[in-house]
Amino acid sequence: MTAPDASLVPSGLLASLWPYALLLVFGVLPAAMWRILAVVLSRGLPETSAVIVWVRYVATALLSGVVIKLLLAPTGALANVPLAGRLAGIVAGAAAFLLIRRSMIAGVIAGEAVLVASAWWWG
Amino acid sequence: MIDDKPFSFWPWFGRGAFDALSFPAWTVAFALVGVGSIARDVGQPLGSAVLSTLLVWAGPAQVIFYGGLGTGMAPLAIAAAVCFSSIRFLPMTMSILPLIRRPKDSLLWQMVLAHYVAVTVWSEGLRRLPNVPVEARQAYYLGFANACVWLAALGTGLGYFLVGALPGPLAAALLFLTPIFFTLSVSGGARRLADWLAIFLGFALQPLSVWLVGESFDLLAVGLVGGTVAFLVARLGDARAAARQGGGQPA
Repeated sequence: MTAPDASLVPSGLLASLWPYALLLVFGVLPAAMWRILAVVLSRGLPETSAVIVWVRYVATALLSGVVIKLLLAPTGALANVPLAGRLAGIVAGAAAFLLIRRSMIAGVIAGEAVLVASAWWWG
Repeated sequence: MIDDKPFSFWPWFGRGAFDALSFPAWTVAFALVGVGSIARDVGQPLGSAVLSTLLVWAGPAQVIFYGGLGTGMAPLAIAAAVCFSSIRFLPMTMSILPLIRRPKDSLLWQMVLAHYVAVTVWSEGLRRLPNVPVEARQAYYLGFANACVWLAALGTGLGYFLVGALPGPLAAALLFLTPIFFTLSVSGGARRLADWLAIFLGFALQPLSVWLVGESFDLLAVGLVGGTVAFLVARLGDARAAARQGGGQPA
């Protein structure tokens, strides 16, 4: 056992459990908070209530914002693909989706194909 | 387990799982491959990577968590960043729960249901659940969501062993899955002008919002402003439709 003042990171069995404790307290908990709060706040509200309808539009706009943020300010390997390639991928995916019987598979494959092609060309 | 009662649990659970496995679950699974790679890069065990998908169930938050550990961020700062990046779950969960919960569901059980909410489950759920009989929705949702979560856990585990092995364009393709899938899924679910307006405003307002309110609150502002405008347009549309039918104000 580590002396209390030796280190914040324990050793032995505790050390092997440390990553999981970190994950639970600093990863799982702060993300779960919002879902739990949502359960409490939406209690007793039917799907047709004005609040829920409004919240649904808020979620739609917020998620659309998340997507455009991923496209305009990407991280990792996606950042190496030029902006034009990323946007062309979305446009190609939407076009294939609309042209091919609103098929999600067709849309995703077309979008990915254009993205990978431009990644290869410019990357 | 399958019997002939009209709304028995397992057949609908199975149908939900089947629908997820017929495509949507694979997009999440591949999208979370990168999380496994990052976790290994920063020296975390395989179990942590897989558990993060099962328990955090939020790609960006997982990337922040492991990325933060890798750069030596203070755990409390990591928790705060994870928290900020997950605000979207509040409106997402609030809007899908009323579709799936039954009158007698306990708060604890509702929290279990809420745990599964993530982009794919949310957008596909809102699109598909209205076509599922009310009594069967919870079973369908749990089947769909469990298929997504468990396949994604597998994808994360796979990513743990693929670290550094993926060529750039393929790594970019994995990161592109979430934006392309969400765009198609949410467009496929749009029914009326206000739905399209919410999507369009989300896209259009985000760059402006980053500039106005900064990186931490930009998405919340986009959601509140864009969502409220779309909501008001929907209300206006309802009021006009009601007036045309000779009725009064809509409920």
